[in-house]
Amino acid sequence: MPETPLPGQERFVAPIDETPLQETGVAIDDSQPPENQWKEAWKLLRRNWIFWISAAILSVVALMVVWPSLFTDLDPTRADLSRSLEGPSSGHIAGFNRQGYDVFARTVHGARASVLVGFLCTLVVVVIGVITGALAGFYGGFVDTIFSRLADVFFAIPLLLGAIVGLSVVNNLFPDRGFWAAIIAVVIALGAFAWPQITRITRGAVLEVKNLEFIDAAKAIGVTRRRNLIRHVVPNSLAPVIVTSTVSLGIFIVAEATLSFLGIGLPFGIVSWGNDIAAAQVQVRSGNRMGVMYWPAGALALTALGFILLGDAVSDALDPKRRSR
Amino acid sequence: MWWYIGRRALQAIPVLLGSTFLIYALVFLQPGDPIAALFGEKPVSDAVRDQIAAQYNLDKPFIVQWLLYLQGIFTLDFGVAYSGRPVTELLADALPVTLRLAFMALVIEAVLGIAAGFYAGLRRGKLFDSTMLVVSLVVIAIPIFVFGFLMQLVFGVRLGWVPITAGQDAGFRELLVPAIVLGLVSFAYVLRLTRTSVVENLMADHVRTARAKGVSDRDVNRRHVLRNSLIPVTTYLGADLGTLMAGAIVTEGIFNIPGIGNLAYQAILRGEGSTVVSVVTVMVLIYIVMSLVVDLLYAALDPRIRYA
Repeated sequence: MPETPLPGQERFVAPIDETPLQETGVAIDDSQPPENQWKEAWKLLRRNWIFWISAAILSVVALMVVWPSLFTDLDPTRADLSRSLEGPSSGHIAGFNRQGYDVFARTVHGARASVLVGFLCTLVVVVIGVITGALAGFYGGFVDTIFSRLADVFFAIPLLLGAIVGLSVVNNLFPDRGFWAAIIAVVIALGAFAWPQITRITRGAVLEVKNLEFIDAAKAIGVTRRRNLIRHVVPNSLAPVIVTSTVSLGIFIVAEATLSFLGIGLPFGIVSWGNDIAAAQVQVRSGNRMGVMYWPAGALALTALGFILLGDAVSDALDPKRRSR
Repeated sequence: MWWYIGRRALQAIPVLLGSTFLIYALVFLQPGDPIAALFGEKPVSDAVRDQIAAQYNLDKPFIVQWLLYLQGIFTLDFGVAYSGRPVTELLADALPVTLRLAFMALVIEAVLGIAAGFYAGLRRGKLFDSTMLVVSLVVIAIPIFVFGFLMQLVFGVRLGWVPITAGQDAGFRELLVPAIVLGLVSFAYVLRLTRTSVVENLMADHVRTARAKGVSDRDVNRRHVLRNSLIPVTTYLGADLGTLMAGAIVTEGIFNIPGIGNLAYQAILRGEGSTVVSVVTVMVLIYIVMSLVVDLLYAALDPRIRYA
């Protein structure tokens, strides 16, 4: 080392004895495992009261889905026409609808179809969207062009219209469907036109993440491209996808009700909120015994609200910009 | 600028071709004999069958049928419906009322959504803000037809303020309640989007600089916060016109409006392929044109963007 530094190589650092190192008060406990993004998000989530409200709503709904007999012993498919439109009485807190079905029993049992559609639809959309979006964003070039244009093509067709056309085709091909076939038809019809949104979000997030330093670091230590994509890029791009898909789970439930209302979603034989609201149209139009609509519509709105609130709470927990609030 | 418009229009062509082909294939590639369906129970002679097949291009390969359909669109010929009326005429009858309805909904959701979102963002955490957030969530969670029925019942039947249904030449008064119903969900999204971006912009450096220079609160909020917050909202509103026209299927059903949504829905139920494909094509066209308009509006809103 030369005695006098060359021009441009001077170091402007104070001698160590002039600025003695001080205790900062921040202690890092090396024995603890390093915290990751998800753990921290969970910590923030637990402190958010909105999360607990949505968790409470969704647990009740989940119970209705897996164990409806916990809430009611009545058979939702047993009609008693002599009690058509009868008001609430003991044992029948919501009264009867036009066909003489018990409204409360139908509301409880209707949860299964609605929640299944929402859940499976979100699953389909996330799987297709994340795969196409991640490949498009990560590899770019030709792959990007193909997947992005494909997404544009599906995105340009309005979701509701596309789903109606798709379902009318399925109705023609398979007029008599069981419970699962009917659910899957609605899931495919909605999912086929809803995935581009997730593709776009994933692609955007991947484009941001793939240029971060830790990805370069992974490359530098010899991680293969594919492993880098799967182990590092995708997991770090999932936050916005999780937020959007939680909210859209609620929106799919509303969309299924709209399709059933139009008479093209789930067949009438299936107990679902959408079908019951559609059947209650006559009561609403005449303003007589509106409770027949309020029960299924209220259950549907609360469930959708539960998922939307959950999405809101999760986005607060995952978005570092909003954490300071 | 013109160069940019030209390039964007060229980029839109594959999307338009792809979307129309998708719907065309979905509608027309179904098994079944359309000519037999047309005649119902009656037998069809071979000569008549051949003539109809030639008339509707059914004797040609599928791709050629689609290309001929596309060719028709460019001369505003959308084919013929089962009733024998040209689809172009049906569209010309139905489109104006739906466009009026969708534009009214768009204006309502834009004005109310931006105003409420802007105000809520400025008073983050206050009573107005929390109320608006709850309202927007409830609006998104309740199916639109439930609102439609309730508003029809309250304003149309009980109070008698507005007509319950609307005709083809429906004016402002007839379309007001349907437009509110149609725009309600989008209003909630516009509100939330505006609020989020107002909150973000309030913390931006250029806003702080403006305040430090002594610009009045009113001017800062209007010229620096609101204007910048409008950029994501514009994107949303531009893409929303297509969604609104699809949503009109539900709204027009409730209020019995003879618009394009009703036309599409009836056509789907009757399996009238040419009408279905035409309605979707029109909606895709509107969506593509609106995205282009939004892109150009960016330049007006954001001086950083210049289309050379």
